Amino acid sequence: MADYIKFVDVTKCDGCRACMVACKNWNDLPEEPQDFSGSYQSHEKVTANTWNVLTFNEHQRSDGNFEWLFRHQSCLHCVEAACEKACPEDAISHTKFGSVVIDADKCVGCGYCVQGCTFDVVELATYKDKYGKEYRKAQKCDLCTSRLEEGLKPACVTACHTDCLIYDEKDTVLAEAEKRLAVVKERFPNANIYNPQGIKGTTSVYLLADKPSVYGLPENPKVPLSQIVWKDYAQPLGKALFGVTTMAVVGAVISTAINKEKGGHEGGQDHE
Amino acid sequence: MTNHWNDLQHANVLMIIGANPAENHPISFRWITKAKENGGKLISVDPRYTRTSQMADMYGQLRSGTDIAFIGGMINYVLENELYHKEYVANYTNAAYLVTDTYSFEDGMFSGYDEGKRSYDKTKWAFKTDEDGKVLTDPTLKDPNCVFQLMKKHFSRYDVDTVVGVTGTDKKMYLDICKTYGSTGEVGKAGTILYAMGTTQHTVGTQNIRSYAILQLLLGNIGIQGGGVNALRGESNVQGSTDFGLLYNNVTGYMKTPEATEVDSTYQGFLDRITPKAGYWVNTPKFYTSMLKSFYGDNATKENEFGYHYIPKLSAGKNYSFMRLFDAMYRGELEGLLLFGSNPAVGGPNARQEKESLSNLKWMVAVDLFETETSSFWQKEAGADPASIQTEVIFLPACASFEKEGSVTNSGRWMQYRWQAIKPKGESKADLEIVHMLARKLKDYYKNSSNPADLPMKAMTWDYGEHDHPDIDLVCREINGYDMKTKKQVKGFGDLKDDGSTCSGNWIYCGFYPEEGNLSKRRDSTNEGMSNFLNWSYAWPANRRILYNRASADLNGKAWSKDRVGIEWNALEGKWMGHDVPDFVVTKGPDDPTFKDPFIMIAGGKGAIYSTGLNEGPLPEHYEPFENPMLNSFSSVQFNPAVQFGEKEMNPQGDVSKYPIVATTYRLSEHWQSGAMTRSLPGLAELVPHMFVEISEELAKEKGIKNKDKIFVSSARGEIEAYAMVTKRFKPYKLKDKTVHQIGMPWHFGYKGIAIGATANHLTPHIGDANSSIPEYKAFLCDVRRA
Amino acid sequence: MEMNVTRRQFLKLSGAVAATLAVVELGFDEKKARAESSDFKIAKLKPTPTICPYCAVGCGILVYSTEDDVVYTEGDPDHPINEGKLCSKGTTVRQVYTSEKRVTKPRYRAPGSDKWEEVDWDFALDKVAKNIIETRDRTFIQKENGITVNRTDSIAYLGGAALDNEECHLLQKLFRAGLGLTYIEHQARI
Repeated sequence: MADYIKFVDVTKCDGCRACMVACKNWNDLPEEPQDFSGSYQSHEKVTANTWNVLTFNEHQRSDGNFEWLFRHQSCLHCVEAACEKACPEDAISHTKFGSVVIDADKCVGCGYCVQGCTFDVVELATYKDKYGKEYRKAQKCDLCTSRLEEGLKPACVTACHTDCLIYDEKDTVLAEAEKRLAVVKERFPNANIYNPQGIKGTTSVYLLADKPSVYGLPENPKVPLSQIVWKDYAQPLGKALFGVTTMAVVGAVISTAINKEKGGHEGGQDHE
Repeated sequence: MTNHWNDLQHANVLMIIGANPAENHPISFRWITKAKENGGKLISVDPRYTRTSQMADMYGQLRSGTDIAFIGGMINYVLENELYHKEYVANYTNAAYLVTDTYSFEDGMFSGYDEGKRSYDKTKWAFKTDEDGKVLTDPTLKDPNCVFQLMKKHFSRYDVDTVVGVTGTDKKMYLDICKTYGSTGEVGKAGTILYAMGTTQHTVGTQNIRSYAILQLLLGNIGIQGGGVNALRGESNVQGSTDFGLLYNNVTGYMKTPEATEVDSTYQGFLDRITPKAGYWVNTPKFYTSMLKSFYGDNATKENEFGYHYIPKLSAGKNYSFMRLFDAMYRGELEGLLLFGSNPAVGGPNARQEKESLSNLKWMVAVDLFETETSSFWQKEAGADPASIQTEVIFLPACASFEKEGSVTNSGRWMQYRWQAIKPKGESKADLEIVHMLARKLKDYYKNSSNPADLPMKAMTWDYGEHDHPDIDLVCREINGYDMKTKKQVKGFGDLKDDGSTCSGNWIYCGFYPEEGNLSKRRDSTNEGMSNFLNWSYAWPANRRILYNRASADLNGKAWSKDRVGIEWNALEGKWMGHDVPDFVVTKGPDDPTFKDPFIMIAGGKGAIYSTGLNEGPLPEHYEPFENPMLNSFSSVQFNPAVQFGEKEMNPQGDVSKYPIVATTYRLSEHWQSGAMTRSLPGLAELVPHMFVEISEELAKEKGIKNKDKIFVSSARGEIEAYAMVTKRFKPYKLKDKTVHQIGMPWHFGYKGIAIGATANHLTPHIGDANSSIPEYKAFLCDVRRA
Repeated sequence: MEMNVTRRQFLKLSGAVAATLAVVELGFDEKKARAESSDFKIAKLKPTPTICPYCAVGCGILVYSTEDDVVYTEGDPDHPINEGKLCSKGTTVRQVYTSEKRVTKPRYRAPGSDKWEEVDWDFALDKVAKNIIETRDRTFIQKENGITVNRTDSIAYLGGAALDNEECHLLQKLFRAGLGLTYIEHQARI
């Protein structure tokens, strides 16, 4: 089967936010109304129950031009996914669609993926069991894998009326993206295709109207070496030696180290 | 819309003025985006930088209420630079018509004004005719009294510098817009104008639209694919409810309601008054009689003037429109109010005063899905003292659109059927069922009355089945119309008769339900050319998708552009053929003297650059809004001289010295109208949970307001508190001799539902357009301060 | 008329089921929710086509419903205007059914009262009819200056822009042609 990707051409987005509600509509995610944000943007960033957020960025360019930049912010489904590396329970994996998904049965809510995520898109949701006891699970966009299984496109893509969001064969999309880039460069000289190779690319690729940093995205993200060491070497070895529970405690220590190495989250949404 | 949504893709240039479709008609951008991908240019003209402006290639800021100045300048630019479509203008418009010598225009006033009545004698603007009543013309367009020359003279005053001094538009951008849009005057090119309430909600609203129509006629953009003057209608069936005569001055199909005058005291006298001598409207008697037959069936006879006297006659000259209705309520003249999906306590102008007038009612019936601010006006939350309000209120729960079946007509005049997906929630009922049950109750009450006043109720037929739920198919059949004898469905409005042998509830819809079945249910989405989708649903009139499409072809009947074929004359077949249903007599060929008269509804068949129909003049002229920050630069006449004033107490006027800031109201993608539905849905309440007021960084600095601060906004009508949204997208207007600040706010909010907030319409004035009486929500004065 | 409806698929795949957690609500039994959602939730439901109730673009929507619930709504891929796409309002149309704010029983507010009472339809409609009859009959003008006018200026009607055409027809028929109302207005005026 051909590789498929989600492609987000932000220059076509008119900010209608159908993608936000389409996601909740399909995935039955609860609403979480926020305090007044001071802009059209509803949530500061994606959360455990809001898997994509439309960001509104009033950007005064250095050439004097004003642009109101919209971006569909969601999981990028990294090919080399830091969340997957961070998970001590092997709860996070890639599907055959390239989507990065969390197995709720395996997730223990430790939150390492939250701290490890390159793009700050994983969060913990809190639930109560039937005895009223709280527990947590990591949550994020799963690219509507249940829909992909049925031959349907992700809910956000299905709703998008300007074709800012498309889901199609990777090679075709990327070739079209280059052509589209050439067209939009006239208005957006800093436009670029965001498919960072430091993490071996993503399954959700952007055409951005300006530099990644303008959108609060890291310019050249990588999965920290310590995280790779942790996942690919220490964790299997540790589990063999100490068992799972102990390894989670060790994980907490390592996770703190990873976070330091990442230097916290870059950028942040520059919205009014 | 003269055209339709899919057709937007065919435009070379799209000018969006007085509309914000990216937010209020988002799916239109599927087709606007296509137009852009085909190389089309998008222009956004708006007081504020919207989501539409961001999608546009060019953005021109204009001060709210200055459309005529903006478009007047464009008309002047097009004429001076000879960008207009010469053949089209000379042959398809009334540019060559001569106007009588009694026409004059001086310092903002046309001839024939009566100051006491605030109205004009329109006969002073008439066309010059010969003894037979035929309009005299000058095909060379050189006669100083021809429409073309009068128009040219009129708009020559709209020079670029005066215009931008009034509108506040950046001069270079203004000229770019003039040039880009003017380029569609080239033969074969198409430009479309999209407008909505930003155009109509002014005291000069109708003339704003006239100015667009003139520009479009000059550029040869009417009747062609990718062109048109397109009103983007804001409610799922506001087109249909207007078509169906839910306005005091119209019955169905845009025909007039009678008045209590000598002339209207007989049916024949009334018909003579409302039926023009030429144009398609000469058929009015057939349509009116067929409508009366749909109301009164066999009880409408030739002897009783087809039941004409059963329908109410308005008090002569009285205005019963929305604001006057509330004036009457304020004065205590109304006892009862029936609301079927209406929330004036949020949506009405000077809404606080309108809401308080509700207390003067004896009773109110509200039919809605959700509790509204209007149905609950007596509650403590509404700021009312319940004990002192004696209004009896009955709330009837209506069901949602997909819990019932029936049709709605979209902005492109497509009548589309909706099927029932689920039974009504709880005990809610379809409005159709509610009105049916009520009608049966009332019919039953009056059935044995001998009082002549009750004759209309007795005569009215109500044959939609004997159960609580009416048979909707019978309603559909009656709307289309049928032969009274054979009961066979009428094929189209061409078959309607004035002798009482046919009925038709709404002549413009006649043809949607022939014997074959209800065509609004059609779901064949095959594109058989120019994306007109002739087999999808049904478009009135006659399934026609582009109005005036005869004008898409040149003087010989060939398409102006092979990329934009609407209809063409086929000499071999001897008829008009193409991708649309001809808006012309199908077999009328080049031999016919009226072959070059494309606008068949109008007497003479020519597009009206000059029109004697409107109240404030035959050509649009700029006047300042009711509340305005500057003196009129075009004349010494400050305010539209034909606007009628209502109840004075309902409409206090603010002055620029106390309220120096221009304010406007609008809608957002995520909410709808008064929010009665959308603010009660968690998913939409989440996206926009709070009422806010948008202000510029400059004004914020001046007033010491920071983003997210709570602020007070006040006008002569009231004061509201809301969050400040300080934004780069709002800029002060740089006008001729001063800088003026502007603010804007959504009008969706009220205190019911999930997302709640202050009601913007507590600030808006209770005054409206001189023709349509639509309130001036879009331009008024206010002040702001930190809370 | 045929009511043919399709659900567009872009590819048809078979294969392993990915682990997903679809229904999550605070306080719910997450395991039970997950078991339910592991079935493709619209698999067995027949969609009904409708037109969006909001603006007048007239987009097509498919409603996936059971006997007593609207499970899901999505753009109608066969519709020529929206081709399966919807805006944020059209996308949330399901909540018009599910919203807890929906009024599902007739209500009555007596003069001077500070609260609604829930009433049955017979009571409510009788009240409406009684009020209309009482006001109309008392204020009805049959003749004015010798001209038959058959009207009442004391009852007003407002609304209709979101109603169906068939409803508009019956409303104008009853209120204008039958009862003689003159104050008949709707949202097109504002």
